[in-house]
Amino acid sequence: MRIRLLAFATAAQALGAAESEVEVPDGATVGTLARLLGDRHPELAARAARLAFAVDGELARPERALREGCEVALLPPVSGG
Amino acid sequence: MHLTRAPLDSGALAAEVGSAARGATVLFLGTVRDRHLGRAVTGIDYTAYEPLAEATLARIERELAAEHEGLALRVVHRLGALAAGEASIAIAAAAPRREAAFAAARRALERVKREAPIWKLERYADGGQAWREEEPLSPPG
Repeated sequence: MRIRLLAFATAAQALGAAESEVEVPDGATVGTLARLLGDRHPELAARAARLAFAVDGELARPERALREGCEVALLPPVSGG
Repeated sequence: MHLTRAPLDSGALAAEVGSAARGATVLFLGTVRDRHLGRAVTGIDYTAYEPLAEATLARIERELAAEHEGLALRVVHRLGALAAGEASIAIAAAAPRREAAFAAARRALERVKREAPIWKLERYADGGQAWREEEPLSPPG
């Protein structure tokens, strides 16, 4: 299935794109996606421990299941204010 | 509305929360500092994951209002390219007594810095730039 990927700040740098589409196996979770992206983008893997994920606009744990067409956002440590 | 690309209007924000029943209004403005670790800063570009940032700022307002009786709280964050000296965040807290107004304004700022998906790209006078990464986000629960 395909999902829509948004990436911000250093995560966008590591991926080389702020928006992309990614093919993930059926039954994939946030954790599956994190491993798949880490394998493809070593710079992202190095930052994995401090990276958060949101699915369809809500922060999500690694066990959260993905579905066809969902929007996953990669969120590095924040610095607003 | 909690995110804007227009300059922040702190007077309007203070007026929104003020009322005759609230005898204390605290207004906090965060502005772009012209130095970071000794390096001259010309400006900061702010970006956000806007739907989640919008919802997060609204939740912070709602939760703090529930913690302090009579509190009215507004938080607005600016996005886009800001020059040093420009305001990036405005927080207005009004309450019947000053203790709650000061406490809520401070707490709102600290929560925004930890919870809102907003990022600074700092631009330096020497031509360099760097993303600032400070607080890792984590899902609730």
